[in-house]
Amino acid sequence: MNRPEPPSVLQTPGFAHYNLAWSPFHPARLAVASSANYGLVGNGRLHLTSVGIAPGIPGGQPTVNLDKQYDTQDGLYDVAWSEIHENQLVTGSGDGSIKLWDIMINDLPIRAWHEHTREVFSVDWSNIKKDQFISSSWDGSVKLWSPDRPRSLTSIQAHSACVYQALFSPHQPDIIATCSTDGTLKIFDLRMPTYALTTNSFTNPITAAALTIPASGTEILSLDWNKYKPFTLASGGVDKLIKVWDCRMVKLAPETASQQVQQVGGVCESQMAGHEWAVRKVQWSPHRPDLLASASYDMTCRVWSTNTPDGRGSLVYIHDPHTEFVVGCAWSLYQEGVLASCSWDCRVNVFRV
Amino acid sequence: MDRINQLVSHLTPGSVKGLEAIQTKSPDDVVITLAVRTPLCKARKGGLKDTTSEELLVEIFKQAIAHSSIDAGLIGDIAVGTCLPKKPLHEARSAMLAAGIPEHVPVQIINRFCSSGLMAVTDISNKIKVGQIDIGLAVGIESMSQNPDDPWTPNSVAVNNHPPAKACCMPMGWTSENVAGDFGVSREDMDALSALSFQRAEHAQKSGYFKNEIVPITVNFKAADGTITQKTISADDGIRYGTTKEALGKIKAAFPQWTPSQTTGGNASQVTDGAAAVLLMKRSKAEALGLKILGKHVATAVTGLAPRIMGIAPRIAIPMVLTQVGISQDDVDLFEINEAFSSMYVYCTRELGLDINKVNVNGGAVALGHPLGCTGARQVATGLNELARRDGKILVTSMCIGGGQGAAAVFVRD
Repeated sequence: MNRPEPPSVLQTPGFAHYNLAWSPFHPARLAVASSANYGLVGNGRLHLTSVGIAPGIPGGQPTVNLDKQYDTQDGLYDVAWSEIHENQLVTGSGDGSIKLWDIMINDLPIRAWHEHTREVFSVDWSNIKKDQFISSSWDGSVKLWSPDRPRSLTSIQAHSACVYQALFSPHQPDIIATCSTDGTLKIFDLRMPTYALTTNSFTNPITAAALTIPASGTEILSLDWNKYKPFTLASGGVDKLIKVWDCRMVKLAPETASQQVQQVGGVCESQMAGHEWAVRKVQWSPHRPDLLASASYDMTCRVWSTNTPDGRGSLVYIHDPHTEFVVGCAWSLYQEGVLASCSWDCRVNVFRV
Repeated sequence: MDRINQLVSHLTPGSVKGLEAIQTKSPDDVVITLAVRTPLCKARKGGLKDTTSEELLVEIFKQAIAHSSIDAGLIGDIAVGTCLPKKPLHEARSAMLAAGIPEHVPVQIINRFCSSGLMAVTDISNKIKVGQIDIGLAVGIESMSQNPDDPWTPNSVAVNNHPPAKACCMPMGWTSENVAGDFGVSREDMDALSALSFQRAEHAQKSGYFKNEIVPITVNFKAADGTITQKTISADDGIRYGTTKEALGKIKAAFPQWTPSQTTGGNASQVTDGAAAVLLMKRSKAEALGLKILGKHVATAVTGLAPRIMGIAPRIAIPMVLTQVGISQDDVDLFEINEAFSSMYVYCTRELGLDINKVNVNGGAVALGHPLGCTGARQVATGLNELARRDGKILVTSMCIGGGQGAAAVFVRD
């Protein structure tokens, strides 16, 4: 199943990775969020790399070069490229801060926000409303931002525990999905955030979700929207499983918010077992509706296809050269079948599946 | 440090924790669709005095099936919690067959003394959680009329020369006096809480609160003149109306041989006959069968402690189970703590700092009685029923266990 060629590798000594993201404008640009001391304490570093992919040579090996780096006071846990400005990107940090960087400017961010009270674990830029991005934090909240505004546009209390990831729907504006320590996936409509009537909004306010999916008995660490099938999501977490959810049943605002219809459910279409430890990241292919990559604490990055006769999904590829937890993986947006993975072994691997 | 703990949790798969998490409804939840009990009747004097333990079992099985709205053949396993019968599995197997449950349904006995009913619920719940069965019936039963709780004297040097080992063979009354003596529990406090138990049970019975949890049963009853008649028993008969703290204060010590001799017939649990049944299944199964879901079993914790003060066990077991599910004492809407003796009941409520308005609100074992194997399952029936009445969510049941153990469990009403 595995091909013999070794991956292209970039080492970042002393800085263990937390996530990585490909530029939506330049096929070669890849940003990596990393932290000293495995992100437990100490500085962070944003790495900007360029991946040389020889066009037109099938199977040609890419090369990875470090172009630039930015140091931060606390560990960096996630990075997202701007969808309107080719040189800008945003990072989320362990100290609760969010920073906007311009790669034409050295050393310092061009803007910084600090509203979250705990670690910011994910940032995501909307590819529909291209002047907006969201952040999710271990403080349980998700915040909506515009690069031009000094404060968040909206803040919702999505969960009462850590929110590991929040992602915009690639199909509809203002719709986001979140996943949390509490074992649920939730879908929110940011147009009309209201507090759930079932909670005490003074002592324990929770924003009403359009849909809550009890996805696992343990923590959900990552999720992704399928790029081709609206309201199909994948989740991965501590239970070592990757699950695919059909959420087309969801009813969105304004009806939902005004009537306080909070649905619970989601149909689990397939469940893929194979990782030996918790699944840290899942990402659907931007090129194929059935292909999904995952990164795990079991030191592997795997690729799965949901397009099997029984519909249950199957393993397509295992990438196992990493020697520590694999914490991130991202499909190249321009080169079909090229996947980048990053790890606590301080290596970024880029390879063809 | 928080960061390390958070990341470590990724590598130590366990259940999700916290108030929101345990209230989330998942298809894999173990839910309760039925929790009922027979009336609790005074041993040797009450309504069930002439009912053998297997007859009582037949009745509770029949009632459970009749009220469950399911085909008894769907039950994957039965666990019966009971302590005193000499041939418990003979009784359980024959009783389930006599009650009309098909032969292919298996049955098992569980004995952890006063927690046996809860252990039966826990055992069935665990079997459902791991996928061994889809539906299971947990029963707790004791006929203390037929099988008296006789003392046992070990006849071996190994045990008799080992003080803690010897202690766990001592009568329970001795442990009650030890708790009162060691922890400075006053007779006055014991009588006060016991009177409250009677008053609450009286109010609950007169207001009809128990109607939803009691299933009336028809049994043989021998009158004073020796004639045997069929009698339908539908109410608890151990509740003494009009009991006051002052009246209880006049009762003589039951154990004058042990200091401080504060335990009396009025401030200890009654010797009682009774049975209770709890039907459990996966939520997905209950929904497929269209059954009403009363609540779910979330977790059980069991602990051991020094046998001579076994009564203080809920003080240990309750925080254990709360930590296990990640909620605080304030999140709990209702506690059912077995009043084995009011010395331990006073101690546990005091040391845990419980709001007495949330504990045993319809009386406890002092007023209703304590049929050993039944109690753990009875608390589930009483607790879920009361939770529905007061529109609460979280129930914690707990008891001390003879021999130096204790248990506590968390249930969430749907």
